[in-house]
Amino acid sequence: MAILDDLRTCVIDGDMNQTQKLVQEAIAENIPAEHILKEGLISAMAEVGRLFESGEYFMPEMLIAARAMKSGLTLLRPHLIAANVHAVGKVVIGTAQGDIHDIGKNLVGMMLEGAGFEVIDLGVDVPPEKYVQAVRDHHPDLVACSALLTTTMLRMKEMITALDEAGLRGQVKVMVGGAPITESYAREIGADLFAPDAASAASRAKELLLEIKKP
Amino acid sequence: MTKREVVHAVLAGNKPPYVPWSCGFTKEAREKLQAHYGTVDVEDALQNHILKLGSDIGFFTQLSENHLRDVFGVVWDRSIDKDIGNVEGCILPEPSLKHYAFPDPLDPRFFTEIPRLIGKYPDRFRVFQIGFSLYERAWTMRGMQNLLMDFYDHPEFVHEFLNAIADYNIAQVHEALKFDIDAVYFGDDWGQQRGLQMGPKMWREFIYPVLKRMYGAVHAGNKYVFIHSCGDVDELFEDLIGIGLNCFNPFQPEVMDVAALAKQYRGQLVFHGGLSTQQTLPYGTEEDVRAETRGLLEMGREGGYIFAPAHDVEGDVSLENMLAFIDVVQSQPEYRNH
Repeated sequence: MAILDDLRTCVIDGDMNQTQKLVQEAIAENIPAEHILKEGLISAMAEVGRLFESGEYFMPEMLIAARAMKSGLTLLRPHLIAANVHAVGKVVIGTAQGDIHDIGKNLVGMMLEGAGFEVIDLGVDVPPEKYVQAVRDHHPDLVACSALLTTTMLRMKEMITALDEAGLRGQVKVMVGGAPITESYAREIGADLFAPDAASAASRAKELLLEIKKP
Repeated sequence: MTKREVVHAVLAGNKPPYVPWSCGFTKEAREKLQAHYGTVDVEDALQNHILKLGSDIGFFTQLSENHLRDVFGVVWDRSIDKDIGNVEGCILPEPSLKHYAFPDPLDPRFFTEIPRLIGKYPDRFRVFQIGFSLYERAWTMRGMQNLLMDFYDHPEFVHEFLNAIADYNIAQVHEALKFDIDAVYFGDDWGQQRGLQMGPKMWREFIYPVLKRMYGAVHAGNKYVFIHSCGDVDELFEDLIGIGLNCFNPFQPEVMDVAALAKQYRGQLVFHGGLSTQQTLPYGTEEDVRAETRGLLEMGREGGYIFAPAHDVEGDVSLENMLAFIDVVQSQPEYRNH
Protein backbone atom coordinates (compact mmCIF):
# COMPACT_ATOMS: atom_id res chain seq x y z
CA MET A 1 0.00 0.00 0.00
CA ALA A 2 1.41 3.36 -1.03
CA ILE A 3 0.54 5.08 2.21
CA LEU A 4 2.40 2.46 4.26
CA ASP A 5 5.40 2.72 1.95
CA ASP A 6 5.38 6.48 2.53
CA LEU A 7 5.03 5.94 6.26
CA ARG A 8 7.97 3.54 6.23
CA THR A 9 10.10 6.10 4.38
CA CYS A 10 9.15 8.85 6.83
CA VAL A 11 10.23 6.74 9.81
CA ILE A 12 13.51 5.82 8.12
CA ASP A 13 14.11 9.53 7.47
CA GLY A 14 13.20 10.41 11.05
CA ASP A 15 10.39 12.73 9.98
CA MET A 16 8.20 12.70 13.08
CA ASN A 17 5.49 15.12 11.94
CA GLN A 18 4.92 13.35 8.64
CA THR A 19 4.96 9.97 10.41
CA GLN A 20 2.15 11.08 12.72
CA LYS A 21 0.17 12.50 9.83
CA LEU A 22 0.46 9.30 7.80
CA VAL A 23 -0.42 7.05 10.76
CA GLN A 24 -3.58 9.13 11.26
CA GLU A 25 -4.39 8.94 7.57
CA ALA A 26 -3.85 5.19 7.51
CA ILE A 27 -6.13 4.77 10.53
CA ALA A 28 -8.75 6.98 8.83
CA GLU A 29 -8.52 4.78 5.73
CA ASN A 30 -9.38 1.79 7.93
CA ILE A 31 -6.11 0.02 7.26
CA PRO A 32 -5.82 -2.60 10.02
CA ALA A 33 -3.68 -1.36 12.89
CA GLU A 34 -1.52 -4.49 12.71
CA HIS A 35 -0.65 -3.73 9.06
CA ILE A 36 0.23 -0.16 9.90
CA LEU A 37 2.46 -1.42 12.69
CA LYS A 38 4.19 -4.17 10.76
CA GLU A 39 4.48 -2.71 7.30
CA GLY A 40 4.87 0.94 8.27
CA LEU A 41 6.68 1.10 11.61
CA ILE A 42 8.41 -2.22 12.32
CA SER A 43 9.56 -2.69 8.75
CA ALA A 44 11.03 0.84 8.82
CA MET A 45 12.95 0.21 12.02
CA ALA A 46 14.31 -3.05 10.61
CA GLU A 47 15.69 -1.01 7.72
CA VAL A 48 17.10 1.56 10.19
CA GLY A 49 18.83 -1.33 11.94
CA ARG A 50 20.23 -2.58 8.65
CA LEU A 51 21.50 0.90 7.77
CA PHE A 52 23.12 1.16 11.21
CA GLU A 53 24.80 -2.21 10.89
CA SER A 54 26.08 -1.37 7.43
CA GLY A 55 27.60 1.90 8.69
CA GLU A 56 25.26 4.24 6.81
CA TYR A 57 23.32 5.30 9.90
CA PHE A 58 24.74 6.38 13.23
CA MET A 59 23.25 7.42 16.54
CA PRO A 60 21.63 10.69 15.34
CA GLU A 61 19.79 8.97 12.49
CA MET A 62 18.79 6.08 14.72
CA LEU A 63 17.49 8.44 17.41
CA ILE A 64 15.34 10.56 15.12
CA ALA A 65 13.97 7.46 13.39
CA ALA A 66 13.12 5.87 16.75
CA ARG A 67 11.46 9.11 17.84
CA ALA A 68 9.33 9.17 14.68
CA MET A 69 8.42 5.49 15.15
CA LYS A 70 7.50 6.04 18.78
CA SER A 71 5.29 9.02 17.96
CA GLY A 72 3.46 6.94 15.37
CA LEU A 73 3.16 4.03 17.76
CA THR A 74 1.59 6.26 20.42
CA LEU A 75 -1.18 7.20 17.98
CA LEU A 76 -1.59 3.62 16.89
CA ARG A 77 -1.57 1.98 20.34
CA PRO A 78 -5.30 2.36 21.19
CA HIS A 79 -6.13 0.79 17.82
CA LEU A 80 -3.71 -2.08 18.43
CA ILE A 81 -5.29 -2.72 21.82
CA ALA A 82 -8.77 -2.56 20.33
CA ALA A 83 -7.75 -5.05 17.65
CA ASN A 84 -6.13 -7.31 20.27
CA VAL A 85 -2.70 -7.10 18.63
CA HIS A 86 0.06 -8.22 20.96
CA ALA A 87 3.71 -7.31 21.10
CA VAL A 88 6.10 -9.91 19.64
CA GLY A 89 7.57 -10.28 23.10
CA LYS A 90 8.35 -8.54 26.32
CA VAL A 91 11.82 -7.37 27.37
CA VAL A 92 13.11 -6.14 30.69
CA ILE A 93 16.16 -3.97 30.07
CA GLY A 94 18.74 -2.21 32.23
CA THR A 95 22.43 -1.58 32.73
CA ALA A 96 24.55 -3.75 35.02
CA GLN A 97 24.79 -2.84 38.68
CA GLY A 98 27.32 -0.06 39.13
CA ASP A 99 27.09 1.03 35.50
CA ILE A 100 25.53 4.40 34.80
CA HIS A 101 26.17 4.58 31.05
CA ASP A 102 22.75 4.46 29.45
CA ILE A 103 22.97 5.67 25.87
CA GLY A 104 23.66 2.16 24.52
CA LYS A 105 20.91 0.66 26.65
CA ASN A 106 18.49 3.36 25.50
CA LEU A 107 19.28 2.69 21.84
CA VAL A 108 18.79 -1.04 22.36
CA GLY A 109 15.44 -0.31 24.04
CA MET A 110 14.35 1.88 21.13
CA MET A 111 15.37 -0.68 18.55
CA LEU A 112 13.59 -3.46 20.46
CA GLU A 113 10.47 -1.32 20.61
CA GLY A 114 10.88 -0.66 16.91
CA ALA A 115 11.03 -4.42 16.35
CA GLY A 116 7.64 -4.80 18.03
CA PHE A 117 8.68 -5.64 21.59
CA GLU A 118 7.16 -4.27 24.74
CA VAL A 119 10.09 -2.81 26.66
CA ILE A 120 10.25 -2.39 30.42
CA ASP A 121 13.20 -0.15 31.19
CA LEU A 122 14.68 -0.57 34.67
CA GLY A 123 17.17 2.25 34.06
CA VAL A 124 20.80 2.30 35.14
CA ASP A 125 22.79 0.69 37.97
CA VAL A 126 20.27 -2.12 38.32
CA PRO A 127 21.06 -4.65 41.09
CA PRO A 128 20.47 -8.37 40.35
CA GLU A 129 17.51 -8.55 42.74
CA LYS A 130 15.73 -5.83 40.78
CA TYR A 131 15.99 -7.90 37.59
CA VAL A 132 14.63 -10.87 39.57
CA GLN A 133 11.69 -8.82 40.83
CA ALA A 134 11.01 -7.44 37.34
CA VAL A 135 10.92 -10.97 35.91
CA ARG A 136 8.44 -11.97 38.64
CA ASP A 137 6.29 -8.88 38.04
CA HIS A 138 6.31 -8.65 34.25
CA HIS A 139 6.99 -12.20 33.02
CA PRO A 140 9.23 -11.04 30.15
CA ASP A 141 10.58 -13.29 27.41
CA LEU A 142 13.97 -11.66 27.61
CA VAL A 143 16.18 -9.81 30.08
CA ALA A 144 18.66 -7.47 28.38
CA CYS A 145 21.61 -6.06 30.28
CA SER A 146 24.44 -3.77 29.17
CA ALA A 147 27.77 -2.69 30.64
CA LEU A 148 30.34 -0.21 29.37
CA LEU A 149 33.05 -0.99 31.89
CA THR A 150 35.21 -3.99 32.65
CA THR A 151 34.49 -3.28 36.31
CA THR A 152 30.71 -3.60 35.90
CA MET A 153 30.45 -6.38 33.30
CA LEU A 154 31.15 -8.89 36.08
CA ARG A 155 27.79 -7.96 37.59
CA MET A 156 26.03 -9.48 34.61
CA LYS A 157 27.02 -12.91 35.82
CA GLU A 158 25.62 -12.07 39.25
CA MET A 159 22.34 -11.11 37.61
CA ILE A 160 22.18 -14.45 35.78
CA THR A 161 23.06 -16.30 39.00
CA ALA A 162 20.32 -14.41 40.85
CA LEU A 163 17.75 -15.43 38.22
CA ASP A 164 19.00 -18.99 38.57
CA GLU A 165 18.75 -18.97 42.35
CA ALA A 166 15.26 -17.51 42.19
CA GLY A 167 14.25 -20.41 39.96
CA LEU A 168 13.42 -18.05 37.09
CA ARG A 169 16.28 -18.72 34.69
CA GLY A 170 14.32 -21.33 32.75
CA GLN A 171 11.48 -18.88 32.09
CA VAL A 172 13.50 -16.12 30.49
CA LYS A 173 16.28 -15.62 27.96
CA VAL A 174 19.20 -13.33 28.79
CA MET A 175 20.90 -11.02 26.32
CA VAL A 176 24.06 -9.04 27.14
CA GLY A 177 26.06 -6.35 25.35
CA GLY A 178 28.24 -3.29 25.79
CA ALA A 179 31.71 -2.14 24.77
CA PRO A 180 33.89 -4.71 26.59
CA ILE A 181 31.48 -7.64 26.12
CA THR A 182 32.39 -10.36 23.66
CA GLU A 183 30.53 -13.38 22.36
CA SER A 184 32.80 -15.67 24.38
CA TYR A 185 32.27 -13.66 27.57
CA ALA A 186 28.50 -13.88 27.06
CA ARG A 187 28.81 -17.66 26.68
CA GLU A 188 31.09 -17.93 29.68
CA ILE A 189 28.60 -16.25 32.01
CA GLY A 190 25.70 -18.30 30.66
CA ALA A 191 23.86 -15.64 28.65
CA ASP A 192 21.69 -16.87 25.77
CA LEU A 193 22.44 -14.04 23.43
CA PHE A 194 25.14 -11.47 22.73
CA ALA A 195 24.68 -8.41 20.56
CA PRO A 196 27.51 -6.07 19.52
CA ASP A 197 25.22 -3.10 18.85
CA ALA A 198 21.65 -1.82 19.17
CA ALA A 199 20.54 -2.87 15.72
CA SER A 200 21.70 -6.46 16.01
CA ALA A 201 20.30 -6.62 19.56
CA ALA A 202 16.83 -6.10 18.13
CA SER A 203 17.21 -8.45 15.18
CA ARG A 204 18.87 -11.23 17.23
CA ALA A 205 16.30 -10.95 20.03
CA LYS A 206 13.51 -11.26 17.52
CA GLU A 207 15.10 -14.25 15.80
CA LEU A 208 15.56 -16.02 19.12
CA LEU A 209 11.99 -15.42 20.26
CA LEU A 210 10.49 -16.44 16.93
CA GLU A 211 12.55 -19.62 17.17
CA ILE A 212 11.24 -20.34 20.68
CA LYS A 213 7.65 -19.50 19.86
CA LYS A 214 7.60 -21.62 16.71
CA PRO A 215 4.64 -23.95 16.93
CA MET B 1 68.33 14.08 27.22
CA THR B 2 65.62 15.17 29.65
CA LYS B 3 62.23 13.49 29.57
CA ARG B 4 60.94 16.62 27.87
CA GLU B 5 63.56 16.32 25.14
CA VAL B 6 62.77 12.65 24.62
CA VAL B 7 59.08 13.46 24.00
CA HIS B 8 60.11 16.36 21.76
CA ALA B 9 62.28 13.96 19.76
CA VAL B 10 59.32 11.63 19.27
CA LEU B 11 57.09 14.50 18.15
CA ALA B 12 59.75 15.78 15.77
CA GLY B 13 59.72 12.36 14.08
CA ASN B 14 63.16 11.36 15.36
CA LYS B 15 64.22 8.09 16.89
CA PRO B 16 64.22 8.55 20.67
CA PRO B 17 66.82 6.89 22.93
CA TYR B 18 63.98 4.83 24.43
CA VAL B 19 60.18 4.84 24.34
CA PRO B 20 58.83 7.52 26.70
CA TRP B 21 55.68 6.88 28.70
CA SER B 22 52.93 8.66 30.56
CA CYS B 23 50.40 6.48 32.36
CA GLY B 24 47.15 7.51 34.04
CA PHE B 25 45.23 5.79 36.83
CA THR B 26 41.71 6.13 38.17
CA LYS B 27 41.26 6.91 41.84
CA GLU B 28 40.81 3.26 42.83
CA ALA B 29 43.82 2.05 40.85
CA ARG B 30 45.96 4.91 42.13
CA GLU B 31 45.08 3.99 45.71
CA LYS B 32 46.62 0.54 45.18
CA LEU B 33 49.83 2.17 43.94
CA GLN B 34 49.81 4.65 46.82
CA ALA B 35 49.58 1.78 49.31
CA HIS B 36 52.32 -0.13 47.48
CA TYR B 37 54.75 2.78 47.25
CA GLY B 38 53.80 4.05 50.69
CA THR B 39 53.21 7.58 49.45
CA VAL B 40 50.29 9.69 48.28
CA ASP B 41 52.33 11.24 45.48
CA VAL B 42 53.22 8.37 43.17
CA GLU B 43 54.58 10.58 40.38
CA ASP B 44 58.19 10.04 41.41
CA ALA B 45 57.72 6.29 41.28
CA LEU B 46 55.88 6.39 37.93
CA GLN B 47 58.46 8.62 36.25
CA ASN B 48 55.88 9.81 33.72
CA HIS B 49 57.32 11.89 30.89
CA ILE B 50 54.29 14.13 30.46
CA LEU B 51 53.33 16.75 33.03
CA LYS B 52 49.63 17.50 32.93
CA LEU B 53 48.75 21.12 33.62
CA GLY B 54 45.40 22.87 34.01
CA SER B 55 42.56 20.50 34.78
CA ASP B 56 41.16 17.79 32.55
CA ILE B 57 37.69 17.75 34.06
CA GLY B 58 37.60 21.24 35.56
CA PHE B 59 36.66 22.45 39.00
CA PHE B 60 33.63 21.67 41.10
CA THR B 61 31.45 23.05 43.85
CA GLN B 62 30.41 20.38 46.34
CA LEU B 63 26.62 20.33 46.63
CA SER B 64 26.21 17.23 48.78
CA GLU B 65 28.24 14.14 49.62
CA ASN B 66 28.09 12.80 46.07
CA HIS B 67 26.88 15.76 44.04
CA LEU B 68 29.11 18.40 42.52
CA ARG B 69 28.56 21.29 40.12
CA ASP B 70 31.16 22.09 37.46
CA VAL B 71 32.03 25.59 36.28
CA PHE B 72 29.52 25.31 33.42
CA GLY B 73 26.70 24.64 35.89
CA VAL B 74 26.37 20.92 35.13
CA VAL B 75 25.62 18.79 38.19
CA TRP B 76 27.51 15.49 38.47
CA ASP B 77 26.55 12.51 40.60
CA ARG B 78 29.67 10.73 41.82
CA SER B 79 27.99 8.10 43.95
CA ILE B 80 29.09 5.42 41.46
CA ASP B 81 31.76 6.81 39.15
CA LYS B 82 34.12 8.38 41.67
CA ASP B 83 36.43 9.98 39.10
CA ILE B 84 34.10 11.93 36.83
CA GLY B 85 30.53 11.05 37.69
CA ASN B 86 27.25 10.97 35.85
CA VAL B 87 25.48 14.08 34.58
CA GLU B 88 22.28 14.80 36.44
CA GLY B 89 19.57 16.83 34.76
CA CYS B 90 20.04 19.08 31.74
CA ILE B 91 21.10 22.71 31.98
CA LEU B 92 20.10 23.49 28.39
CA PRO B 93 16.64 21.94 28.06
CA GLU B 94 15.99 24.04 24.94
CA PRO B 95 18.24 24.28 21.87
CA SER B 96 19.25 27.84 22.68
CA LEU B 97 22.05 29.73 24.43
CA LYS B 98 19.80 32.75 24.96
CA HIS B 99 19.57 32.32 28.72
CA TYR B 100 22.98 30.82 29.26
CA ALA B 101 26.18 32.65 30.21
CA PHE B 102 29.47 30.78 29.76
CA PRO B 103 31.82 30.73 32.75
CA ASP B 104 35.04 32.75 32.81
CA PRO B 105 37.61 30.84 30.71
CA LEU B 106 40.38 32.63 32.60
CA ASP B 107 39.23 31.33 35.97
CA PRO B 108 42.58 31.45 37.82
CA ARG B 109 42.15 27.93 39.19
CA PHE B 110 43.09 26.57 35.75
CA PHE B 111 46.39 28.43 35.66
CA THR B 112 47.74 29.27 39.12
CA GLU B 113 49.33 25.87 39.71
CA ILE B 114 51.22 25.83 36.41
CA PRO B 115 54.46 27.56 37.59
CA ARG B 116 54.64 25.45 40.75
CA LEU B 117 54.16 22.18 38.85
CA ILE B 118 56.71 23.13 36.19
CA GLY B 119 59.09 23.99 39.04
CA LYS B 120 58.48 20.63 40.68
CA TYR B 121 58.90 18.59 37.47
CA PRO B 122 61.08 20.78 35.28
CA ASP B 123 62.33 17.89 33.15
CA ARG B 124 58.90 16.73 31.95
CA PHE B 125 57.05 17.56 28.73
CA ARG B 126 54.36 20.10 29.65
CA VAL B 127 50.83 19.71 28.43
CA PHE B 128 47.93 22.03 29.17
CA GLN B 129 44.76 19.93 29.29
CA ILE B 130 41.28 20.91 28.18
CA GLY B 131 38.92 18.06 28.95
CA PHE B 132 35.38 17.69 27.60
CA SER B 133 36.66 20.00 24.95
CA LEU B 134 33.80 20.11 22.46
CA TYR B 135 31.19 17.44 21.73
CA GLU B 136 31.43 16.14 25.28
CA ARG B 137 31.06 19.60 26.78
CA ALA B 138 28.03 20.11 24.57
CA TRP B 139 26.30 16.87 25.53
CA THR B 140 26.98 17.29 29.24
CA MET B 141 25.08 20.57 29.00
CA ARG B 142 22.39 19.65 26.51
CA GLY B 143 22.00 15.89 27.11
CA MET B 144 23.52 13.36 24.72
CA GLN B 145 20.32 12.26 23.03
CA ASN B 146 19.11 15.85 22.67
CA LEU B 147 22.40 16.95 21.14
CA LEU B 148 22.55 14.04 18.70
CA MET B 149 19.05 14.86 17.49
CA ASP B 150 19.90 18.58 17.39
CA PHE B 151 22.37 17.74 14.60
CA TYR B 152 19.28 17.23 12.46
CA ASP B 153 16.64 19.32 14.23
CA HIS B 154 18.62 22.46 15.06
CA PRO B 155 21.85 22.57 13.04
CA GLU B 156 22.29 26.34 13.46
CA PHE B 157 22.12 25.98 17.22
CA VAL B 158 24.73 23.18 17.15
CA HIS B 159 27.13 25.33 15.11
CA GLU B 160 26.63 28.26 17.47
CA PHE B 161 26.96 26.09 20.57
CA LEU B 162 30.12 24.29 19.48
CA ASN B 163 31.75 27.54 18.40
CA ALA B 164 30.89 29.12 21.76
CA ILE B 165 32.60 26.19 23.49
CA ALA B 166 35.58 26.62 21.17
CA ASP B 167 35.76 30.34 22.02
CA TYR B 168 35.96 29.40 25.68
CA ASN B 169 38.69 26.84 24.94
CA ILE B 170 40.66 29.19 22.69
CA ALA B 171 40.67 31.84 25.44
CA GLN B 172 42.18 29.17 27.72
CA VAL B 173 44.73 28.21 25.05
CA HIS B 174 45.83 31.86 24.72
CA GLU B 175 46.28 32.11 28.47
CA ALA B 176 48.13 28.78 28.68
CA LEU B 177 50.49 29.88 25.91
CA LYS B 178 51.79 32.57 28.28
CA PHE B 179 53.49 29.76 30.23
CA ASP B 180 56.42 27.63 29.07
CA ILE B 181 54.28 24.74 27.88
CA ASP B 182 54.86 22.29 25.01
CA ALA B 183 51.40 21.19 23.96
CA VAL B 184 47.66 21.48 24.49
CA TYR B 185 45.69 18.30 25.09
CA PHE B 186 42.03 18.30 24.04
CA GLY B 187 39.88 15.49 25.42
CA ASP B 188 36.68 14.64 23.55
CA ASP B 189 35.26 11.14 23.01
CA TRP B 190 33.68 10.65 19.59
CA GLY B 191 33.88 6.90 19.18
CA GLN B 192 31.86 3.85 19.96
CA GLN B 193 33.31 0.36 20.15
CA ARG B 194 32.57 0.29 16.43
CA GLY B 195 32.46 3.53 14.45
CA LEU B 196 31.70 7.10 15.45
CA GLN B 197 28.80 8.08 17.69
CA MET B 198 27.61 10.79 15.35
CA GLY B 199 28.98 9.27 12.12
CA PRO B 200 31.58 10.78 9.79
CA LYS B 201 29.11 13.04 7.95
CA MET B 202 27.92 14.84 11.09
CA TRP B 203 31.47 14.89 12.48
CA ARG B 204 32.78 16.63 9.36
CA GLU B 205 29.89 19.08 9.24
CA PHE B 206 29.83 20.10 12.91
CA ILE B 207 32.95 19.02 14.76
CA TYR B 208 35.73 19.31 12.19
CA PRO B 209 35.52 23.06 11.42
CA VAL B 210 35.54 23.88 15.13
CA LEU B 211 38.53 21.62 15.79
CA LYS B 212 40.34 23.42 13.00
CA ARG B 213 39.90 26.69 14.88
CA MET B 214 41.04 25.21 18.18
CA TYR B 215 44.09 23.42 16.74
CA GLY B 216 44.95 26.58 14.79
CA ALA B 217 45.11 28.58 18.03
CA VAL B 218 47.62 26.09 19.47
CA HIS B 219 49.78 26.03 16.35
CA ALA B 220 49.77 29.84 16.20
CA GLY B 221 51.68 29.62 19.48
CA ASN B 222 54.04 27.02 17.95
CA LYS B 223 52.89 24.28 20.30
CA TYR B 224 51.83 20.70 19.65
CA VAL B 225 48.23 19.47 19.57
CA PHE B 226 47.40 16.29 21.50
CA ILE B 227 43.95 14.77 21.66
CA HIS B 228 42.23 12.04 23.58
CA SER B 229 39.22 10.45 21.90
CA CYS B 230 37.99 7.04 23.01
CA GLY B 231 36.60 4.46 20.65
CA ASP B 232 36.89 3.50 17.01
CA VAL B 233 37.89 6.83 15.43
CA ASP B 234 40.85 5.95 13.20
CA GLU B 235 38.84 6.80 10.08
CA LEU B 236 39.35 10.44 11.12
CA PHE B 237 43.14 10.37 11.28
CA GLU B 238 43.69 11.86 7.81
CA ASP B 239 41.30 14.74 8.56
CA LEU B 240 42.89 15.31 11.96
CA ILE B 241 46.45 15.28 10.62
CA GLY B 242 45.31 17.71 7.95
CA ILE B 243 44.31 20.27 10.58
CA GLY B 244 47.44 19.84 12.64
CA LEU B 245 46.95 16.99 15.08
CA ASN B 246 50.32 15.80 16.42
CA CYS B 247 49.52 13.12 18.98
CA PHE B 248 46.56 10.79 19.43
CA ASN B 249 45.50 9.01 22.61
CA PRO B 250 44.22 6.43 23.74
CA PHE B 251 45.06 4.12 20.83
CA GLN B 252 42.85 1.24 22.03
CA PRO B 253 43.93 -2.16 20.68
CA GLU B 254 40.36 -3.51 20.90
CA VAL B 255 39.05 -1.02 18.37
CA MET B 256 42.00 -0.32 16.10
CA ASP B 257 45.00 -2.15 14.67
CA VAL B 258 47.64 -0.52 16.81
CA ALA B 259 50.69 -2.00 15.07
CA ALA B 260 49.44 -1.31 11.54
CA LEU B 261 48.42 2.28 12.36
CA ALA B 262 51.72 3.03 14.11
CA LYS B 263 53.53 1.89 10.97
CA GLN B 264 51.16 3.66 8.59
CA TYR B 265 51.34 7.03 10.32
CA ARG B 266 54.96 7.06 11.52
CA GLY B 267 56.30 10.53 10.81
CA GLN B 268 52.82 12.04 10.58
CA LEU B 269 51.10 11.25 13.86
CA VAL B 270 52.39 10.15 17.25
CA PHE B 271 50.36 7.64 19.25
CA HIS B 272 50.03 7.67 23.02
CA GLY B 273 48.41 4.66 24.70
CA GLY B 274 48.06 1.20 23.24
CA LEU B 275 48.06 -1.22 26.20
CA SER B 276 44.76 -3.11 26.40
CA THR B 277 42.59 -1.88 29.26
CA GLN B 278 39.52 -3.86 28.18
CA GLN B 279 41.22 -7.27 28.14
CA THR B 280 44.89 -7.66 29.09
CA LEU B 281 45.14 -5.39 32.12
CA PRO B 282 42.04 -6.62 33.97
CA TYR B 283 42.01 -10.25 32.77
CA GLY B 284 45.52 -11.10 31.59
CA THR B 285 48.34 -12.53 33.68
CA GLU B 286 51.34 -10.53 34.76
CA GLU B 287 53.30 -12.18 31.94
CA ASP B 288 50.56 -11.21 29.42
CA VAL B 289 50.96 -7.60 30.53
CA ARG B 290 54.74 -7.78 30.27
CA ALA B 291 54.60 -9.37 26.83
CA GLU B 292 52.13 -6.82 25.44
CA THR B 293 54.14 -3.96 26.94
CA ARG B 294 57.38 -5.30 25.43
CA GLY B 295 55.64 -5.60 22.06
CA LEU B 296 54.49 -1.98 22.21
CA LEU B 297 57.96 -0.77 23.18
CA GLU B 298 59.41 -2.70 20.24
CA MET B 299 56.80 -1.08 17.98
CA GLY B 300 57.83 2.38 19.22
CA ARG B 301 61.57 1.81 19.16
CA GLU B 302 61.98 3.80 15.94
CA GLY B 303 59.75 6.60 17.21
CA GLY B 304 56.20 7.83 16.80
CA TYR B 305 55.00 6.35 20.06
CA ILE B 306 54.53 7.21 23.73
CA PHE B 307 53.61 4.24 25.90
CA ALA B 308 50.51 4.17 28.15
CA PRO B 309 47.58 1.94 29.00
CA ALA B 310 44.77 2.82 26.58
CA HIS B 311 42.77 4.47 29.36
CA ASP B 312 43.39 5.51 32.93
CA VAL B 313 43.87 2.14 34.62
CA GLU B 314 40.64 1.03 36.28
CA GLY B 315 40.24 -0.32 39.81
CA ASP B 316 39.74 -3.90 38.59
CA VAL B 317 43.38 -4.20 37.52
CA SER B 318 45.60 -6.03 40.00
CA LEU B 319 48.54 -4.27 41.56
CA GLU B 320 50.81 -6.96 40.06
CA ASN B 321 49.62 -6.14 36.54
CA MET B 322 50.16 -2.42 37.11
CA LEU B 323 53.65 -3.00 38.48
CA ALA B 324 54.39 -5.31 35.53
CA PHE B 325 54.03 -2.63 32.86
CA ILE B 326 55.66 0.01 35.06
CA ASP B 327 58.65 -2.31 35.51
CA VAL B 328 58.95 -3.13 31.80
CA VAL B 329 58.93 0.50 30.66
CA GLN B 330 61.34 1.60 33.37
CA SER B 331 63.68 -1.30 32.61
CA GLN B 332 64.42 -0.13 29.08
CA PRO B 333 68.25 -0.24 29.08
CA GLU B 334 68.61 3.16 27.40
CA TYR B 335 66.38 4.70 30.07
CA ARG B 336 68.30 2.94 32.87
CA ASN B 337 71.60 4.19 31.46
CA HIS B 338 70.26 7.65 31.06
